[in-house]
Amino acid sequence: MGMGGSQPAVEMRGITKVYPDGVVALRDVDFTVRKGEVHGLLGENGAGKTTLMRILYGEIEPSRGEIWIFGRRVKFRGPWDAIRQGVYMVYQQFSLVPAFTVLENLILASSSMGRAKLQDVRRKAEKIEREIGLEVPLNARVEELSVGVQQKAEILKALMSEAKILVLDEPTSVLTPIEVRELMKLLSRLREMGITIIFITHKLREAKEITDRITVLRRGRVVKVVETRDVSQEELAKMMVGREITFDITKKAAKAGAPLLAVKDLWVRDDRGLMAVKGVSFELRAREILSIVGVAGNGQRELVEAIVGIRPVEKGEVVFSGESITQMPPSEVYRRGLVYIPDSRAVGLILDFNVTDNSILTRLKQFLSGGRILWSEARRYSSRIVKEFNVLVDSLRTPVRHLSGGNQQRLLVGREVASNPKVIIAAEPTHGLDVAATEYIRSLLLKLRDEGKAVLLVSTDLDEVFQLSDRMAVIYEGQIMATGRPEDFTAEELGLLMGGVKCEAKS
Amino acid sequence: MRSEKLASWRLIEYTTIAVEITGSIALGLVVAGSILALLGYDPARGIFLLVFGGLRNPDYLLSRAAFIAMTALAFSIPLLAGVFNIGGEGQMYLGGLAALLAAVYSGNAAVAILAGGLAGAALGLIIGALKAYRDVNEVVSAIMLNLTLFYVIVYAITAELYDPVAPHESIKVPKGARLGVIRFGGLKLHIIFPLMLALVAVAYYLLYHTKLGYEIRASGFSPKAARYAGIDPKKTSVYSMVIGGFFAGVGGALNVVGFTYYIDNLLTCMYGMGFTGIGVALMGRNNPIGVALASIFFSMLVLGGSRMQMLMRVPKEVADTLSGVIIVALSLPYAYRMLISYIRIRRMVGVGAEQHS
Repeated sequence: MGMGGSQPAVEMRGITKVYPDGVVALRDVDFTVRKGEVHGLLGENGAGKTTLMRILYGEIEPSRGEIWIFGRRVKFRGPWDAIRQGVYMVYQQFSLVPAFTVLENLILASSSMGRAKLQDVRRKAEKIEREIGLEVPLNARVEELSVGVQQKAEILKALMSEAKILVLDEPTSVLTPIEVRELMKLLSRLREMGITIIFITHKLREAKEITDRITVLRRGRVVKVVETRDVSQEELAKMMVGREITFDITKKAAKAGAPLLAVKDLWVRDDRGLMAVKGVSFELRAREILSIVGVAGNGQRELVEAIVGIRPVEKGEVVFSGESITQMPPSEVYRRGLVYIPDSRAVGLILDFNVTDNSILTRLKQFLSGGRILWSEARRYSSRIVKEFNVLVDSLRTPVRHLSGGNQQRLLVGREVASNPKVIIAAEPTHGLDVAATEYIRSLLLKLRDEGKAVLLVSTDLDEVFQLSDRMAVIYEGQIMATGRPEDFTAEELGLLMGGVKCEAKS
Repeated sequence: MRSEKLASWRLIEYTTIAVEITGSIALGLVVAGSILALLGYDPARGIFLLVFGGLRNPDYLLSRAAFIAMTALAFSIPLLAGVFNIGGEGQMYLGGLAALLAAVYSGNAAVAILAGGLAGAALGLIIGALKAYRDVNEVVSAIMLNLTLFYVIVYAITAELYDPVAPHESIKVPKGARLGVIRFGGLKLHIIFPLMLALVAVAYYLLYHTKLGYEIRASGFSPKAARYAGIDPKKTSVYSMVIGGFFAGVGGALNVVGFTYYIDNLLTCMYGMGFTGIGVALMGRNNPIGVALASIFFSMLVLGGSRMQMLMRVPKEVADTLSGVIIVALSLPYAYRMLISYIRIRRMVGVGAEQHS
């Protein structure tokens, strides 16, 4: 790096963070970033990466520890303090006003730092864009831009505030493969300009590709700090999870059976009234896993909600086991054996309800005797789910809010699977879970398939899709771009399809 | 094994609640006592009168608690579904008037109470449906209805339903339609208190043991999750308003057929009890059993306050302030909880924490 002797850009010493509920997020973490490097902060979900960076950014106060920026001890009272010192954090959720143009957002940001004139801001923005070859349309409204461009606008905003240390929180999670490549190029250019970058990720390939050094966090502690060129992805993976992970779940060959679910020319509107699903058709057979692949927000949720009856169908038909279930109330759809695991645990569970209450959420009718809830039966069912799916709870009366994400997911998935359904729709079933829980859920889905059930997997996680699918359908802006077996697609082709580019070879 | 754990979990929960409530009351009394001392009154006597003064007339105490418990349920049931029923006051007025009319025409107390409940429920339905299907803010429509109904009923009593013998009072509930009084030796108890207990039990059963109650609570906690489960949160919120309105209406009816036997031309017998119910609902943590206890406690303070005014010549404002202090103290447990978790963190971080900050 050739930075010998100079002060590190960031030095955090002995950082400990304990939340009011007693959760220890970080324990005595030392974290040093050299000036001008791209430093990876690697760890699983819940390892404490984001918490550490939010402490650096002044958003969270550490329970203990010191922070030094370019050799000066700092105590930020909030992000505004951090920004003044040249630290800027880009979150997964951007801090842009959607209804404003990019330029208006830049003015808003700079006016909070002092007076800003429109022309000055424009000139400065254009200069930065030229210097680093960043293309952001200044006069376009943010909400009309793709996520990738919004992210660039956010980075531009950081550079406008003279950021010297740029923190990116899982920046690739919302991007298509092509956008990821562009981001990587942009980051290299920023590094050449001497900007220090902290790159939070849990994706090994990205960490290996872009960073100079990596700090690995596990359960709130630093496992190791390494020079990126000295380690392999496998070694990183081992440090991250603390054990060998099996990247391959053994999967038997599929023997697809009779068709169970057929969707015919389905059209559905989103919450804003815009058409989100435009003529989707597919067929799902017993003993197979069909994946709907795509970048988040391309109509996946609307499609699934329409199938189970939560959302009105504009046009088209849904046939389950030979009968039309179009627009049937969800509880009736579930009762017939088509179940749905939503992509958010805050939707699939009522976090303030206890474990028993939640166990009957989608199956209330089975536990009724003339309007009265049979709680003793509900408790029996609940404890069966808890036992069968290894949900760790101290009591069935514990509010689900107090369970870890993995245990919430086991309860949610367990509840839906325990009813012995024929078709399972699972949306992002391993989102935000640690490796053990992820493996558990994925193996479970495969086991269900082998038992003769049909699984419709809606996922943005390509690893998951390749690991589990027997067939996959790529969705883009509410339309199916292509359908095929996993081996029919290269990652490249899939990326293009997910980004809306249709390949000639397939249909 | 599991059941042992269950038991201990419950024990901890109930102990916590008990400690919280005792602590709150103690704190409230200390502050109230200090205020009295500062103003030059005897704090010990003042506090004693404030808390226990109401017990001199247990019948009135419990009857009052019965009305307030009803309006508190009128607030807490919709709130559990996520709707803010400020309209308990108006629903109670209308319930009282309907009960009076029904009593006069039918001569039957049960019919009168039912009529009161239905009138309140109808009002709840209007507010709830406007909110759910026309997006009219329930607070605004309820406040407007409260005021409108107040004057409509004042008009009805002054112009149409007045008693020729005592013109500031309405016609009386006929003898046969009055709810009775139970006597134990020298003590008497209006039957409305046991009736209230029964209604509270009904509310509890409804909320925690029926499909509708489950749906109400589910919709209130998470409309999205409710929709996912096939529950229509809008419809549920309307039902909750109907039930809430019913309880408020029954509150008004119980007042008229069970206690005053008429409505005075300024509605003083009911005035403000709907709003009081909101505070009591919160104090009772939106749980019917908590509501019943809170309403009794609140009535103790109100009656004790007036006793203190009478015997110690403490101004009404001071008496009300003292009740207020105690009620605020009762809502502090949340703050206690924060404090406890703060101490726990300090302990976990260790003694070293101080030298850095």
